[in-house]
Amino acid sequence: MASDKFGRDEWVAQIDARRAAPPGVAGQVLARWNALPLGWRWIGVLASFAAIPFLTSNDYLIRVAGTVALFATLSLGLNVVVGYAGLLDLGFVAFYGLGAYAYALLSSGKFDIHWPSWVTLVFIGVLGLAFGVLLGLPSLRLLGDYLAIVTLGFGLVFVQLAITMDRVEVPWHAGPIDVTGGSNGLINLDPLRLFGLDFGEPLTLFGYALSSVALYFYALLAALAVVLLVIYHLNQSRIGRAWRAMREDSLAAEAMGMPTKRLKLLAFACGSAIAGVSGGIFAAWQHSVFPLNFSTDLLITLYAMMVLGGLGSLPGVVIGAGILAVIPELLRSPELARVAFYSAVVLGVALFLRPRRNGLIVLAGVILLGLILRLATQTLWPDLLSPPTITVAAESVSTAFERTAQTFGIIVQKWIILPMEPTPPGNVAFLVLLPALLAWARLQPSRLKLGLLAPLLYLLAFVWETRLTAEPAVTRLLLIGTLLVVLMIFRPHGLLGTKRVELV
Amino acid sequence: MALLELVNLHKHFGGLQVVLDLSFEVNPGEIVSLIGPNGAGKTTVFNLITGLYAPDRGDIRFDGKSLLGLEPHQIAKRGIARTFQSLRLFLNMSVIENVMAAAYPRTHANLAQIIFRTPGFRKEETRIRAVAEEKLAFFGERLQGYRFDQPAYSLSYANRRRLEIARAMATEPKLLLLDEPAAGMNPNETLEITEVIGELRTRGGYTILLIEHDMKVVEGISDRVIALDYGEKIAEGTYHAVATDEHVIEAYLGRKSAMTK
Repeated sequence: MASDKFGRDEWVAQIDARRAAPPGVAGQVLARWNALPLGWRWIGVLASFAAIPFLTSNDYLIRVAGTVALFATLSLGLNVVVGYAGLLDLGFVAFYGLGAYAYALLSSGKFDIHWPSWVTLVFIGVLGLAFGVLLGLPSLRLLGDYLAIVTLGFGLVFVQLAITMDRVEVPWHAGPIDVTGGSNGLINLDPLRLFGLDFGEPLTLFGYALSSVALYFYALLAALAVVLLVIYHLNQSRIGRAWRAMREDSLAAEAMGMPTKRLKLLAFACGSAIAGVSGGIFAAWQHSVFPLNFSTDLLITLYAMMVLGGLGSLPGVVIGAGILAVIPELLRSPELARVAFYSAVVLGVALFLRPRRNGLIVLAGVILLGLILRLATQTLWPDLLSPPTITVAAESVSTAFERTAQTFGIIVQKWIILPMEPTPPGNVAFLVLLPALLAWARLQPSRLKLGLLAPLLYLLAFVWETRLTAEPAVTRLLLIGTLLVVLMIFRPHGLLGTKRVELV
Repeated sequence: MALLELVNLHKHFGGLQVVLDLSFEVNPGEIVSLIGPNGAGKTTVFNLITGLYAPDRGDIRFDGKSLLGLEPHQIAKRGIARTFQSLRLFLNMSVIENVMAAAYPRTHANLAQIIFRTPGFRKEETRIRAVAEEKLAFFGERLQGYRFDQPAYSLSYANRRRLEIARAMATEPKLLLLDEPAAGMNPNETLEITEVIGELRTRGGYTILLIEHDMKVVEGISDRVIALDYGEKIAEGTYHAVATDEHVIEAYLGRKSAMTK
């Protein structure tokens, strides 16, 4: 009895803590939001998403939003196989590629086949189901790592096939046939045509001009909505429960009457059908397919999205996809990357330092430290400093947002010590920064720790300005990697995932 | 007619004969206990009945029909459910979901019904939920109310044993196989689980075959006791007949003490 009592108190306390909204206005908003029915919350999110093309006519932004929807759909499909059924499937991207290539072959001048889009998409869905079962069948006996290896092989074989199937020898046919176009891929695909709507042509709706990109964005958003609904319903049913039971203990699930083999195949089939149809829409959107669209990089990105958001959590997976699809775009231009970087630092300090006063003191300290060092260097060794390297572009060629970002960059470069020859001191600072950060993290909480934070952040800013902005490609990967590491340390179960135990 | 019949069952692992020419019956409404020293093959018998292992020779008949060649989930659907000696709960699922998941063989909703949430599907969901709550109510207040949504890993050891029994009941079996239901429980909890097993028969209407080391439990509830040693049946009968059987004492305590007695 005593243990029951203890268990109860602990659990009730946890639940109460979770229910009690954080204080302040943000907490109130969050509480109101959580009080809404689940369906309304999803409709709210998707509707605000759907408003994007009406808020901006910038095709680039809409394209990013479309990428988010596409990645979210794909990660949700992967989540069925990995998050629910617990099958470590590394061949997932191959089904995505299969769908894309199927669309390309059935809707292009390649063999002069032009099926109606809806027929093609339904066909691709069925094809995905069939290949999912086909890959699932030999994998039924395999578990965990072994399944991962087999499916990974499938994924790699797919890319190789796509590259090499430009010279297929067929009996009773003179000469090789070019099926996939090799590494040049297939181009000039037909646009989607659904319900009498041509997605390749801009559309005017209630006076708003919707570009082709916006139309594809809506197609992807609709796919996301359908997939969300279907997966949510599946999860809250006998099949969803059986999938999760199988993930927890396959043998016990079988002994409780769940046909685990059939359920595994069903999970594979659902995941690959979702991947296939997404691939088809992707191919139409891009007007082309290339083998490298379906490389292992994409697979790793999808896994990162799923794990970042929280394995098995639908909103988590969607948020994870959003974060990891948007960040690389934010980091594409150095000016935007700078804004994102300093916002992240300020946000981190403001969120993690308690009481709030400490956060403000540290930030003020960093700014002051920078000004003092800058002034000192300027008066003592003025020759060492370089003028800001950024110039604000003319109003005619840039948006207000871009100009603000550029102005911010100039201010920062006048604040930090920017050497004439930034690379050597930047490298040294980078080498000092990493061990310093690690050592700082190991310190016991104290005044000293707080005091050291300001010079450390200054050093971080110095490394950023001298080294990292110079090499955007590396910086992007570095930042994404750092984000994942930090997140996994603080929340091993992902942003919205629930804590899981392996053995108790 | 017997509900479960084991006929000349043989099973070996490599050179080790774990079940040797074993035959016994379990009649409807009976509580039968399997006893024997460690390694006597009791759990192997359970694994044979539930289809986790295939026997080398012999037959297993349930309700007059052979179970040979059936997959474990088909056997569960025929009406045999079990618990595990080393608990095998779905730890990261809630208590109620553990039980609802096990209703799988008694539900029929297909993909289309699930995706479109047809009235039939909703009705079935309500029914499963009611069944799960009813099965959990077997253990009084212990697995009620707030516990429904608690993850299974947060339960105490004794409650996990109870949850395993509730989960087995949710498959709506005729025969329950309980593998050491009182293992790791304190004397109070053992007493309680003994009463629960009695109620499983009277109130639940299940026929029960159980493996148990705790002789108080075996004595308290068994209609019949079957003793195994090295995979062979060495005694069968009432508790007192088996407990005083020469072979059984020998199996547990060794030959010398059997002779001095």
